[in-house]
This record gives sequence, C-alpha cells and structure tokens, in this order.
Amino acid sequence: MSSNCNICPEWDCQKLEDFKNVWVVGEVDENGITEASLQMLTPASKIASKLNTKIIGVLVGYNVKKFANQFIEYGADEVIVLDDEGLSMYSPHVYARAIAELAKDQKPAVIFISATMKGRELGPYVANTLRAGITADCTEFDVDEKTKDVLMIRPPFGAILLAYIKTPTRRPQVGTARPNVFKLPPRDPNRKGKIVEVKVKEIEKPKTRLISKKMLPISEVPIEKAELLVSGGKGLGAIEGFNMLKDLAKTLNAPVAGTRKAVDMGWIPHEKQVGQTGKSVKPILYIGVGLSGAAQHTFGIREAEVVLAINNDPNAPIFNQSDYGVVADFREVLPALMKELSELKNKLKAKGS
Amino acid sequence: MRIVVGMKWVPGTTSVRIDPKTGTLIREGVPSIVNPHDMPAVELSLQLKDKYKGEVIAISMAPPPALKGLEYLIGMGVDRGILVSDRAFAGADTLATSYVIAKTIEKINREIGKVDLVVFGQETIDSSTAHIGAQTASWLNWPYIYYVHDAKFVDSKFVVERVLEDAVEEWEVELPAIIATHMKALKPRPVRLINKIRYKVEKPIMTWTNAELKLDPRCIGLKGSPTIVSKTVNVPEVPRKKIVYTPKSGEDAAKWIIETLMKDDKASKVLMKYLSMEGEVQ
Repeated sequence: MSSNCNICPEWDCQKLEDFKNVWVVGEVDENGITEASLQMLTPASKIASKLNTKIIGVLVGYNVKKFANQFIEYGADEVIVLDDEGLSMYSPHVYARAIAELAKDQKPAVIFISATMKGRELGPYVANTLRAGITADCTEFDVDEKTKDVLMIRPPFGAILLAYIKTPTRRPQVGTARPNVFKLPPRDPNRKGKIVEVKVKEIEKPKTRLISKKMLPISEVPIEKAELLVSGGKGLGAIEGFNMLKDLAKTLNAPVAGTRKAVDMGWIPHEKQVGQTGKSVKPILYIGVGLSGAAQHTFGIREAEVVLAINNDPNAPIFNQSDYGVVADFREVLPALMKELSELKNKLKAKGS
Repeated sequence: MRIVVGMKWVPGTTSVRIDPKTGTLIREGVPSIVNPHDMPAVELSLQLKDKYKGEVIAISMAPPPALKGLEYLIGMGVDRGILVSDRAFAGADTLATSYVIAKTIEKINREIGKVDLVVFGQETIDSSTAHIGAQTASWLNWPYIYYVHDAKFVDSKFVVERVLEDAVEEWEVELPAIIATHMKALKPRPVRLINKIRYKVEKPIMTWTNAELKLDPRCIGLKGSPTIVSKTVNVPEVPRKKIVYTPKSGEDAAKWIIETLMKDDKASKVLMKYLSMEGEVQ
C-alpha cells in the first residue's frame, strides 16, 4: 500500500484521484428540496468548474424521487436518489449512515450540506462516519490552484478572522454553509440531467422516533426573508425601549430582529437573532437601533444592501459598518421618525386612492 | 442513570484580539471560562439526575487549566470530573477531538459504569462548529438529537423535545444516546457552597492521559486530524458609505433620515414598498 496508508487504523485507505464530483445533499420538506439546499448549488458550481468535474444532487428519503428534477433545474448535472421505505422518517443517524454509505460507494471529492438546524445535526455525523474532515458554516469556498484541495473559508473566533481550511489527505471534503450565505441560482425549467436511482446494502433500524411535531406560528415573515428589517440591541436599555422599536417596525410594516443581547434580555426570541449564533439576513434596508455593531452581529448583515444605524455613542463600531448613521438618543429619534413616516404613509395612500 | 456531560474551557471573550504582526490570536491575558453554551447541557444533566437519580460526570479534553472549569461544574452539583489531557492530543481538529472523547466515554462505560446519555452544548463560543456531539455519536454508533431543550422519561421511554427553525418536535430516543442542547434551553443553577466544600474534601476529579487511554498516535492530535488551517486573514470589510450625522434634535434626525433614504435608490424603493403595504406583516 502507499504511504497514504500509514494512517489511523480506524480510517480506510484512499487514493485521492479516485474521488470526483461535487455533491450537494438535499434536505426535503413537503414542497420539495429546501431553498437552503438549492442555494448550495451556487458554491458547488464554482468548485465543480474549478475542479473540472460534475455537480451531483443527492436525495435521500422515501417518495423523494419526484423532487429530483428541482436539483437539475437549479444547476445540478445529475441527481442520485436513494428512495427507500426504510427512510420514510428522518432519523439523523440513519440518514447520516445512508448518505455515508452512498459516498463510500460513489467517492465524491466534495460534499456540501446546508447548515440548517437539521444540516448541522446531520453533516458532522455523515463526515465522521466517512472519517472525513468537515468545516462548518463556511462563508466562501475556493480551490487551491496547486494542490486542487478545496479551501473552506470560515470565520471562527467572534467573526473577526477568516480561516482557510483544507483537507489535503482525505476525501471527501465536507463543508457546510448557513442558509442565505449563498444566493439561490437561477432556475431553468428546460435544463436536463440524468437521474439515477441507487440502493445501499442496508438501511439501519432507527433508534430515534419522531412522536410529535408542532409547527411554530408563521403569522410573521421570517427575518431572513424580509426586505426591510428593523433590529435592536442592548442600547435600547429595557423592554420599553424595545417596544418603541416594535412601534417603528409596525409603522414600517417590517419584522423586528435583534442582537444576541436582545435575545439574552428576553426582548425577542432566538429565531429572530441576527449574527454569528443567529441568522444571516439579506434585507435591502437594515435599520439598527441601539446596537453597537459587535463583529458577531455585523457578520449577520454582510448581505444587507443598505444599513442605517441609530446610536447615541459616536464611537460605536456600527458607524463603520453602516451607510447612514445618526448619533442620537433613540428615545428622541424614534417618535419623530414614526411621525414623519406616518405622514409619508398617508401621502402615499392619498396618492394611491 | 449515568450521564456524561462535555465541557470546553474557552477564552472568556469572543472579542479576541489579533496580533497585527503575526495575524494570530492573542490569548494571553484573556481569562478562560466554561463555554457558556455548555451550561444548559450541564443544567439538563443535573435536572435529569435530580429526577431519576444516578450520577453526572463532566469530561473535558484540554490542558490542565481546564480543571478550574470542572471544579465549577462540581460546584453546580456534577458528581465528578474527568480531565482528558495529554500533549499528544494537541492540535486536534474536531474529528480527532471527538475520537478521544468517544474513547473516553467507552472507558467510562467499562471502568466506572454503563453510560446512558451524553450531553453536549449547542456549540462553543470560540469555534462554533457544533461538530463534537454528532461526531462522537458517529464514533460510538449511537443516535444523536440536536437542539434539545427538554428531556424526560415517559412510560419508561426517554423522550426529548427539540426546536428547529419552524417547529418543536418530540422524539423518542433509545438509550444510550447523545444529545446536544439548544443555547437557550435552560438557565444554569448557581454554584452551591456545600458542593464547593465537597470538592475541597473529596477532590472528585481524575486526569486521564494517553497512558490510560492508549490511543494510536495516528488517530489523535495533528496526525488524527484530516483538516488543517492553511491560513487566516482578517474578515474583509463590507464596503459601506459611512455617512454619519449628528442631529440637533429628534425631529432634525427624523427629517435627515427620510431625506437621506429617499435619495438612496435602493432604500427609497423598499421604503415606499413597505409603507404602501396594507395590514401588518408582524
């Protein structure tokens, strides 16, 4: 055997040149492949073209074959479908082992998985079952020109550093990215591609069983979908301050988000947190009030097109991360701003009717 | 039941500074703490012990200063701590780290008693990968459920509740299993004097090095780590206009904001669109 094989006996020996193609694992809900998974076709396309290889969508589940074409329409060259009654219910370890089994068989060079909450559960289980390296929550991917290793780029340590991580001696190279870090590729309903049904030797018996599922109320627009987003931080001082922000949001018909501090204070639930331990958002206009602009927070608004900040501390780092900044006490600004906005709203209505 | 809970000893602030010359992190002078996301995991473990008896063992793979963290958890009510510490483990990525942790759990299983449940926190504040729970479960071939905020026995079956983006789910889980908690799951209990005294008297902490674990050097540390950090750079700044205005009054501020946003193509369009919306989207 090659010297490559003087490795941990828990690992299998590999010839790196046997590994080809870029896989995107598809998470599926009632409507098909999730947008988060389809977004992963964007980096997959970049990496596949640099490696001169194919993009393969991977669908695992029961009655999922009907969704395979979505992968093709959004840019996959082929789709591998493992459709099995034994996978009728998602169980993390069963799905992970099935995907790992497929990967052992088909030898992809790269596996991309969207870091949704389920993806963050599944991804490391898949990678580890393959004894492969994994890099979580990447914000960019690239290829090392010389070695052809994939560079997984991610921000550890409070989002001030970007680390370039590579896996020079093992395949596949597994990477995840949070939803909305990459854009959804354009859909082409006329695109054609091969859809291949595959089987694995054995689907494991699940040791976990979903016994109930309660959907959370979705009367509100999720913050990651909003084009206009109002957000608050510690500087709002107390729940009264945060309520004032909510009033502004109401005037604007916009959803409200917040920083980690706002969540810690109990002003807002965790699913509305923007930042490294919350969500990345991509509004056209982001209005941040009483938030200082910690790197972990502004990391989540990198994709915002226009940022307006209101803060009474002229030295707050948020002013370096904003297009427009107002150095003032929000208690004075917000009521006046709401008044102006209401007048504007009435003018628009009058014009409209 | 016997519960093992994982703990990471991390730099106490996420605003770690970078040495401008070397581009590396300055860890000196940054005091370490128990990873805050591990606290709900410890609390959940202790609540399970309160209800169903048994013991909670905290483990940490780290250099010796992490003993302070284990001492803190014992102060909260954890029964004992195991520090897994050896220079040979240094430089490990998450695969090699989870290997050592999995082997530690197997050793606890053999030598202390059967482990029913392993609990980890959501992620760590210094690297945020959220890998270790799933990877350890994979080494052991145990089931894994993430983002758990409640756990109990129902008719002798172990049931956990977890949150996803859009739903709350209840899962029946066959033990032994690994779960990881949601960062907002539970508020940790304070350290109690009686537990601190127990710590002083009993010193219920062991250190296991690789002399005890006897792991193949090719599976641990740098050699056992498929991933390497090839370089680090500062996060590139997003280009922003950085126009800052100091208004004379609230009214002045409001007028400036509206004027400025209306002059901005993108901002004005979205502002008009939202203001013209009927009803409320909240």
